[in-house]
Amino acid sequence: MSDLAITAMQTELTRERSAIRSLRLVQTACILVIALVIVSPLLMLVVASLKDDRFQILADMGSFRAFWVSNPTLSNFWEVGNFSGELAFGRYLLNSLFILACTVGAGLVVNSMAGFVLAWGSLRGRALVLSLVIALYVIPQESIIMPLVIMVSRAGMTDSFAVQIVPWVASPLYIFLFYQFFAQLPKELFEAAEIDGASVFRIYRSIFLPLSLPALATVSILMGIESWNQYLWPTLVTQTDYARPIAVAIATFFGQDSIYWDRAMAASVLMMLPILALYLAFQRWFVSSFVGSAVKG
Amino acid sequence: MTLQQPALTATAALVRPARRRDRARLFQEIGMLAPAVMLLTIFLVVPFLLSFWTAMTNQPLVPRPTPVRFIGLTNFLRIFKDDLFWTSLWNVSRFTFWVIPVQCGLAFATALLLNQKLPLRNVFRGMFFLPAITSIVVVCVIWGTLFQYPTGPINQVIGFLSGGRIQPIDWLGDPNWAMFSIVLLSAWQAYGFQMIVYLAGLQGIPDELYDAARIDGANAFQRFWHVTMPGLRPTHVFVLVITTIQAFKLYTQVAILTQGGPKSSTETVVHYMVRTGFEEQKLGLASAVSVILFLIVLVIALLQRQLLRRFDV
Amino acid sequence: MGKRLLALLAVSTALIAVQAEAKTVIRMMHQGDPGWVSTFGEVAKRFEEANPDVDIELIYAPHDAYNEKFSAAVMAKQMPDIMELDAPFLANYVWSGYLQPIKPLIDKDILEDMTGSNIAQGTYPIDKELYAVGLTDSSVVLYGNRKYLEAIGARIPKGVDDAWTREEFEGYLEKLSKLGGVKWPIDTFRGYGIKTEWITYAYGPILQSAGCDLIDRNTWKSVGTLDSDPCVDALTMMQKWVKNGWVVPQSSGTNQFFAEGHPAALAFGGHWFYAEAAASMKDDVVVMPLPKFGPKGASPNGTWIWGITTASEHPEIAGKFVSFMLKDKELREHAKETSGYPGLKSFAADSPLYAPGGPMAVAFEQASKTAIARPPHPAYPAITSAFMGAVDEIFNGGDVKAALTAAAEKIDEDIEENDGYPPFDEQQ
Repeated sequence: MSDLAITAMQTELTRERSAIRSLRLVQTACILVIALVIVSPLLMLVVASLKDDRFQILADMGSFRAFWVSNPTLSNFWEVGNFSGELAFGRYLLNSLFILACTVGAGLVVNSMAGFVLAWGSLRGRALVLSLVIALYVIPQESIIMPLVIMVSRAGMTDSFAVQIVPWVASPLYIFLFYQFFAQLPKELFEAAEIDGASVFRIYRSIFLPLSLPALATVSILMGIESWNQYLWPTLVTQTDYARPIAVAIATFFGQDSIYWDRAMAASVLMMLPILALYLAFQRWFVSSFVGSAVKG
Repeated sequence: MTLQQPALTATAALVRPARRRDRARLFQEIGMLAPAVMLLTIFLVVPFLLSFWTAMTNQPLVPRPTPVRFIGLTNFLRIFKDDLFWTSLWNVSRFTFWVIPVQCGLAFATALLLNQKLPLRNVFRGMFFLPAITSIVVVCVIWGTLFQYPTGPINQVIGFLSGGRIQPIDWLGDPNWAMFSIVLLSAWQAYGFQMIVYLAGLQGIPDELYDAARIDGANAFQRFWHVTMPGLRPTHVFVLVITTIQAFKLYTQVAILTQGGPKSSTETVVHYMVRTGFEEQKLGLASAVSVILFLIVLVIALLQRQLLRRFDV
Repeated sequence: MGKRLLALLAVSTALIAVQAEAKTVIRMMHQGDPGWVSTFGEVAKRFEEANPDVDIELIYAPHDAYNEKFSAAVMAKQMPDIMELDAPFLANYVWSGYLQPIKPLIDKDILEDMTGSNIAQGTYPIDKELYAVGLTDSSVVLYGNRKYLEAIGARIPKGVDDAWTREEFEGYLEKLSKLGGVKWPIDTFRGYGIKTEWITYAYGPILQSAGCDLIDRNTWKSVGTLDSDPCVDALTMMQKWVKNGWVVPQSSGTNQFFAEGHPAALAFGGHWFYAEAAASMKDDVVVMPLPKFGPKGASPNGTWIWGITTASEHPEIAGKFVSFMLKDKELREHAKETSGYPGLKSFAADSPLYAPGGPMAVAFEQASKTAIARPPHPAYPAITSAFMGAVDEIFNGGDVKAALTAAAEKIDEDIEENDGYPPFDEQQ
């Protein structure tokens, strides 16, 4: 009887195990197929960046030749990655990094504070403010850009770093994102701290913020991409090399009559690297479940 | 920063009258909200209100010798009379309808997969995020090539898989296919955004809930349906609202790949606005378009929230 | 009060700074690819060496955002001294009061050196004054694949005067469509897109050759001209080519003339296309004048040229720099490398590509014989936008007459809204 029960349990266990194993197999297969679909278009970009003849790249477009390079060369990368001269891409790269760091740093503070108050504050009319904030996200940048140019030039802010940072620090999207993340956290957290007599700022700073690493990482990455790829705005408000970001500089390769495919592609690949590094640095914050352990502890 | 000793704060709170504490709390909340509200007001609300005013004038993009006149609602009436505007509105609605399931579905699926303890998970996390960090101009160049008619890679793959039975499709040149092609490339380019929002959301579900479900004998699917899905409700709401708004703002892909054609089948509201504002240089008219777009999407976003609230989400 | 004090302080600091440097700053707004950006930078340096009291500040704007950039500069009251502008927009800028007559500011030998087409692209029709000069100009020619042309026994024109007639041209298209190896008889570069200046630039001359125009250049009315029978006929002809599958589709890229297997037999392409095609096809590229679609031949012109703005405080120095730049040897060398189409006679004589006997000599011949500028009218942004919309509609099978009528009405509507852009309304 008991033998039977043990065997039954063992079969149950093996069945469970083999079920898990087959699930893993299916998952791995899925991930591989998706990876192929996702990554193969980008292969073309990398391949093109390794060809040194822009006319050849053009001629190869639209066929499978675009995915093959017979004699790869890094010469495009050397040509693009210079730090001096008329088009010093190194300088633009540093400009972009500086702008990104400031925008993201200030953005995390400003937007998370606002999101927190909207989620847990006691102010009346929070729901209205939240609706308004979401509504503001509707406004496309293209529709406010001209009035904004006039405003910043009256303020004498053109051709500076500040003009590329300050307007984009507060963002409806990220306030909304922080709001929904904070609102999702258990009520007990806030109430317990409140009973302990902690102030609102303190609850935000010492309890909620440390728990929201996934949200902070998300916002850092998304804001970083947004800042990195800003194009129309810096084009309109920068004049000289002083604060010009890399996205504007790369546009030189997409000329009127001809596109410098070789260097455009190499520059595009180079431009992806810092953001990729940022992402890889932050993505491990998604790995462990902070909230779970906090509630437990 | 007011980082006091916890014990001190606690006693102070007990001693202090409640009303004073409430007021202090209120001030603190206002102080925390103020930077965001001020910045948004200066850099978003004020310029947008200015464009409300511009919408009621005949202001050109580049100042001209002719005087700028107040023309009331003339711009709005002209837009409502323009078939192209209605076409563009219909087109973004179609786009939104298609792109939400494709993009969010892909994002949700990849987030779930990447949340598993699979081998090389970090490598895949990096790979899956690559499209989102590729500049949109380059994305359009790549997809323009993939979509080429009749011998582009996608057509060749389809021809090969179907044994030549399916004829090449003019993805971007056929009015029946063009918007669908834009949907595909947009979903590919932008799903990384929703993916990491979902990844963060998945982290917000306490492990205890899964453990409890496991003890109750729930299988993987049941755990997904009764723990993961409810835990992600706020994330779903966020993703749905944001994706809808983003879809209505569709512009860059269209501007680079199809410029609204063929036969206006990919004309979108923002593209229509940029064209009237920057190409035809009618800033007043373009501002009116942006006001209309704002009101339409606002209504949709509010309706969505109401609807989701009714379903207890 | 405090603000005023601060402003005063700022002004006085600025004054001190200017006095300390004692340099005249000339700001020049330009577009261009990396080669041009660095070339302009070097020219500026050479000029500064020769004129130590002048500081040239270059303001770069990417090609696709150039108009927005200029508008922003105007609205922010930060106009440059010198600006690069696309020729068809000249009338709009002059009418708006942004450019000043350039003749008195530029060296005489340059003015005498300009080709007729170059003068035409820089002239404002109201006062017939010159407002901009360029080193280069542009044109469109008909490129042919020698092997295919020999296979169908096509006559190869020797110069602009014996260009193909419409009958010849359409006959060859039909023959080419049946020739093995030819997938499409002609590439008209629909791949550039439907909202690019290319449409008006390249297809406009077909209308003019057929005996009509985008707009009547005396009455400045489009209804009755763009929707007239010759225009309807010309675009019906092009629609037929597309319907017959003779034209490379829009989504097949812009490389079908020289891509593997040479799927396209002819190319209705800009002068810059020669470099792309010759890179892989060498001598197999035949350069021919644009066909005559009616009583007279027509070809486009116009490119990015230099004007001096009314905001400039030192127009003479700005003019001096423009003259210096146009004469600069290395700048000309760079223009030659990019197969730039000469706008100055001395530059043409120095460019083997365009000189008599050169492969692109026919293209240069067109400049003096058939070139017609795009309508020099301040409503040009509306004109070109309306025409682009009509061509897209027509190429996708829409009704030709209806599409052209809608476009013509849209153009006239824009002109009416601007009270006829005085004094253009008096030009009857």
